[in-house]
Amino acid sequence: MNDAVGSSPVGPACRRVPIALGSSPVGGRTVRRPRLLAGALLGLTLGSPALAAAQDARQIVQEVQKRGDVRSQRYEGLLQVFNARGTVSDKRWMLERLGSYGASRVVLRFTQPAEVRGVALLVVNHPDRASDQWMWTPSIERDRRIALQDRSQRFFGTDFSFEDLEERDVQQFDYVLQGEEAVDGESCWRIQSVPTRTKSSQYTRSIVWVRKSTYTFARIDNYIGDQVVRRLTYGDMADVQGIWTARRLEMTDLRSGSRTRLTLDRLQYNVPMTADDFTLQALRRQ
Amino acid sequence: MNLLRLISWPYVRKHVLRTVLTTAGIVLGVAVFVGMHTANQSVLFAFNSTVDRIAGKTELQVSAGETGFDEAVLETVQGAATVRVAVPVIEAVVDSQREGQGNLLVLGTDMTGDRSLRDYDLEDADEAIIDDPLVFLAQADSIMLTKAFADRNGLSVNSVMTLGTALGPRAFTVRGIMKSKGLASAFGGNLAIMDIYAAQRMFGRGRTFDRIDLATRPGVTIEEAGAELRTLLGPGFQVDVPAGRGQQFQAMTASYGIMVSISSLFALFIGMFIIYNAFAIAVTQRRSEIGILRALGATGSQVRRLFLLESAATGLVGSLGGLALGLLMARGIAASIGTIMQDVYGVAQRADEIATSPALLGLALAVGVGTSVVAALIPAGQAARVDPVQALQKGRYQVLSAGENRARLMAAAALGIVSVLCVAVPTSRPVFYAGYLLAIVVALLLGPILALVLSRAIRPLLKWLRPVEGALAADSLIQAPRRTSASVAALMLSLALVTAFAGMARASYNSILDWVNGTLNPDLFVSPSQDVVTRTLRFPAAMGDELAALPGIERVQRVRNARILFRGTPVMIVATDIASLAETAPREPVEGHPTEMYRLTAAGQGLMISDNLARLAGLHAGDAIEIPAPAGIISLPIAGIIVDYSDQQGSIIMDQAVYQRYWRDDTVNVFRIYLRDDATADAVSRSILSTYAGERQVFVLTNGELRDYILRVTDQWFGLTSIQIAVAVFVAILGIVNTLTVSITDRRRELGVLKAVGGLRGQIRRTIWLEAISIGTLGLVLGFALGALNLYYILQIIERDIAGMRLDYVFPFGTALALVPVILIAAFVAALWPAESAVRGSLVEALEYE
Repeated sequence: MNDAVGSSPVGPACRRVPIALGSSPVGGRTVRRPRLLAGALLGLTLGSPALAAAQDARQIVQEVQKRGDVRSQRYEGLLQVFNARGTVSDKRWMLERLGSYGASRVVLRFTQPAEVRGVALLVVNHPDRASDQWMWTPSIERDRRIALQDRSQRFFGTDFSFEDLEERDVQQFDYVLQGEEAVDGESCWRIQSVPTRTKSSQYTRSIVWVRKSTYTFARIDNYIGDQVVRRLTYGDMADVQGIWTARRLEMTDLRSGSRTRLTLDRLQYNVPMTADDFTLQALRRQ
Repeated sequence: MNLLRLISWPYVRKHVLRTVLTTAGIVLGVAVFVGMHTANQSVLFAFNSTVDRIAGKTELQVSAGETGFDEAVLETVQGAATVRVAVPVIEAVVDSQREGQGNLLVLGTDMTGDRSLRDYDLEDADEAIIDDPLVFLAQADSIMLTKAFADRNGLSVNSVMTLGTALGPRAFTVRGIMKSKGLASAFGGNLAIMDIYAAQRMFGRGRTFDRIDLATRPGVTIEEAGAELRTLLGPGFQVDVPAGRGQQFQAMTASYGIMVSISSLFALFIGMFIIYNAFAIAVTQRRSEIGILRALGATGSQVRRLFLLESAATGLVGSLGGLALGLLMARGIAASIGTIMQDVYGVAQRADEIATSPALLGLALAVGVGTSVVAALIPAGQAARVDPVQALQKGRYQVLSAGENRARLMAAAALGIVSVLCVAVPTSRPVFYAGYLLAIVVALLLGPILALVLSRAIRPLLKWLRPVEGALAADSLIQAPRRTSASVAALMLSLALVTAFAGMARASYNSILDWVNGTLNPDLFVSPSQDVVTRTLRFPAAMGDELAALPGIERVQRVRNARILFRGTPVMIVATDIASLAETAPREPVEGHPTEMYRLTAAGQGLMISDNLARLAGLHAGDAIEIPAPAGIISLPIAGIIVDYSDQQGSIIMDQAVYQRYWRDDTVNVFRIYLRDDATADAVSRSILSTYAGERQVFVLTNGELRDYILRVTDQWFGLTSIQIAVAVFVAILGIVNTLTVSITDRRRELGVLKAVGGLRGQIRRTIWLEAISIGTLGLVLGFALGALNLYYILQIIERDIAGMRLDYVFPFGTALALVPVILIAAFVAALWPAESAVRGSLVEALEYE
């Protein structure tokens, strides 16, 4: 998933299926870097009309990915962490992504609060290996390479873990269609996703609900053992430039009771961008 | 037990003072043993505890000595198949800039992954900020403190505190306070956490890390991970469990440990003689009691057991007292050791609590009781052999038979030959130490004979001084050789210890002074730390050129020194501009050509090593050595061996270009500055300080200040020796007091007779005073003689096992001269009370005594 921040011109889209922000199991030795929020958010989208006929679980997931395939993307995100005591903390960022699955580049630049303004992340995805990630810290004028080794850790104080931000290779999971269920009144396929034995993940399995009408995710429950530990919901669906997109994602840590909401604003697809803006030099310039 | 209660207890009650004095010998011996070892253990324990607490869940650590390494190494480690998580660490000890709070250990970590290894357990923080590592990382002034430190300094979240950094004093914002347990209790709570990349900048580390902490993947053993990492990284890196750092620290304190063991051994030996003396007298005094017991059917072995039980009980009481006193002493000594470790080795460690080891306390108890029992073996054996009839004949027991003297002489001669052979024939370490022990035993065997000879020798002098009193005093010494020799032996051992330690201190001091004079001749030293041994902060190399451009500066030499592991031992690398050094501070080599060694070393074709390293590692000029470094193995011949005291474990001197090539590190610890003839140190010093004001933390030391600092540190090191000397002197005085008290009690009847036949009080007083001074004199003569021998052994131990330093043998005449009045006055003072007791006692009681 490190290597799938967005649509993928490299290799068949069906080979790598980003289950989007924080969904389902991943982990895995082939995935060394998570793709962070920036990239993950891209995979939440779905597009195009309904598929002609019902497919098996794997085909459904592949179709979800295929419909989110875009050349570039930009949005402003609002990240709100609601802890168990009711305290809310907000962060804002601007995200830009160029390229699609397997070879995309993402720059995520924090804009608020003042303490983190200017901090930026560059994610360079590779089709055949883990992504490279750098963080730019303006206060010490230093970039640092980020190696994510423990993906069960919280992502910078949010309720997402680093693993939740990774895209997953569809081939590294076994899917079972468990039937149909309504989520928020919408008819969905209920699919169980279990990492294959070659994958390592903090989660033992995930249950994914995919909206039948738009081939978009509605909800993902992540399990450790028999306990649901994190729940991700996708809401505020909108058709943005022909792509069905969830504009509000909410991850709940069911153990601590805290939740994190990500709201996408000013979302645009296929915006003109140049590769020069997605380099370490560019990161340092701004 | 009944015998103890019925026979021994009344005797003890009757002779309380003597019992106390006797027990004090064991108390002191055990106290020295427990105090010094506990202090040493406490510092080591504190260090290990700090390492443990900081390590958290770390299973292995990658380091390259103290030099640090390029941050790119992190990716290699993280890429290892056996590694689950690997995080970089920088450790820096900085001035907390708070009165009385000392240093703060700053741990630079990468919060993006570090929480996998360490639990920061935040006590009180604005969660929106501190629970978000992003803010912590985004702000270079972020710092986390422990609750203990914050409370002590009235700090809370968002407080601002200033720390000394390489960039000068910098304000940091407290963004979290950790609960005072686990990690936060490391370094006595004087711990701060900051982002590692901010730490790089603040502490002048460039793009290097000090070490990498890592945890292995599930199912992978530490050995497997270690093997993989060693293969990946090469021999220039150490891959070790966190406890390995404790072992290195232990290596540094090992020398101190040897000295402590020698002191303890001497202290216990001295205690043994005091006990022996007391029991020998007790057996003499209780001969009639023993005779009655034997007449009533008690067997010899029962009598022996009774005395051994008494001695065991004395030993037990003394040992328990010693344990208590030792633990009290340990705290103060531990503080001294902590200071020394900081000043001598640049390793900051404070021991806030005393680490008592049940094993050590048990050993001390056993040694105390054992020593007491061993000391009483001979008197107890003699008590067992007492004939009821002979028991009525007072005084015979004290006489040394000619046969006994011969046996002693023969034993001493035989053991002396073995002892000399042990030293003369170079063999293993145990043989050498056995030779040392035998030499002491020989001295103790000869002690009574020599005491007797000396007593006879000084009789005319005493008689000449005071015809009546002098003769009486001398006769008392001659007629009671066991009593005399035991107290003289105790005094002799004390003085031998004092003499040897004083001689060692003087010789070391002279050698270090000679080195300081020859090597440290620049006019100024520019350092990022107030003391030059702290290597936490470093300067960038470019600063050398900036300094050279300042008016008044003739020459600048960069010095980078750091401890690395060489053949498993921490030694100091000293990298500098060798060609320049050859011009300004050339040293005469111990081995090698005086100019060629500098030429080869400057050209990167050779290395110079310190004499002590050569001795400890068995190296010679021309030998090729291999030094593992992060960028490969340096394989160069030893171009020269010089005297260098940069580090007690030894030093390797190389050209800065070689160091930079193999360590990829051009930072500088100290700049050596030579001034132009027309420049003054004051003016240049001011100029340097003003140039870097607000930009860098810079300390400018004049040559004199640095010399004073080094000599002060040397004094500190030997300060511990002075504790041992003080104890030895105290034990010596105790020995005299004990002997005289016992002697006076023993001679009550004799003194009573003197008074009865018209002896004046003044005469009796003077007799006792003269006897005391005579014992002091005998002890001084024999003590200095044994001290001369002891000094030889101590210097040998330093050369062979401790520091490899070849110190000149110089008898400490100054100390010896100072000890003469001290011991004689102590002997005189010690005799005052026994003398008064003797003259004021009832004549009738005295005549009825025994």
